[in-house]
Amino acid sequence: MFERFTESARRTVTGAVAQAERLDHPEVTEEHLLLSLLDTAEARALFAFTALGLRDRREEIEAALADARRRGGLSKAETDALFDLGIDVDAIVRKVEETHGEGAMAGARRNAGDDLPPREATRVRGRLRRKLLDHRPFTPEAKKVLEQSLKVALGRGDKHIGEEHLLLALTVRPGVVSEVLKDFGAGYGDAERAMFGEPR
Amino acid sequence: MSEATDLAARAGDQDPRVGLRAVVALRRLLEQLEAVQVRGARNQGWSWQEIAAELGVSKQAVHKKHGSR
Repeated sequence: MFERFTESARRTVTGAVAQAERLDHPEVTEEHLLLSLLDTAEARALFAFTALGLRDRREEIEAALADARRRGGLSKAETDALFDLGIDVDAIVRKVEETHGEGAMAGARRNAGDDLPPREATRVRGRLRRKLLDHRPFTPEAKKVLEQSLKVALGRGDKHIGEEHLLLALTVRPGVVSEVLKDFGAGYGDAERAMFGEPR
Repeated sequence: MSEATDLAARAGDQDPRVGLRAVVALRRLLEQLEAVQVRGARNQGWSWQEIAAELGVSKQAVHKKHGSR
């Protein structure tokens, strides 16, 4: 699959690893792929984000991603939908965090060695940290985004995979990233129109 | 509000998409709350059996769903 990636798409993927490093995250997630795309100077991505009106909204998007994670992956649209039903998600999150600690709804990050006795766990983590210094794995979901970009390219009859296909893949895969993109007016249809004109 | 916009607003309220979307969101919220509570119970030393009994599901089901967390 990777041999089909254009130079600029490869730089975007490498950039996602750099984002994970910057945020001190042990794994590369689909959020890091989006942030990498937003920071990129690659022409197609720049064109798309300009057309979608997202070029100056990077910080807002990063904040929205963090908010959605804090709400356990619920997007702004979903939170609003629940509010209409009389359910205040933010109040629930505050309540849960009071009892279970900050970021409780975001899910405690599982660490290597959690199931081992403390001394053994420290040894495992030390080994892992050394390993992470030169290798940060992609999460299964982030890998699915890369696979989806291949499907998107094939579906459009494109022979290469560029960052435009990565962006479309991010809008397709269910989860926080596509929900946030949708909230910012960048669903699949919007992104496709912005980059290629009317959908085929 | 003119009659036309009033009607449009009321039609919007009956849009099944709004209701369905809320159901999906509610389901996701429920899953998150369950994960938080199960994690809390495990941290307090509850057995899978005890958690399963409270949730009204089998021990296997709760372990399969939350065991890896």
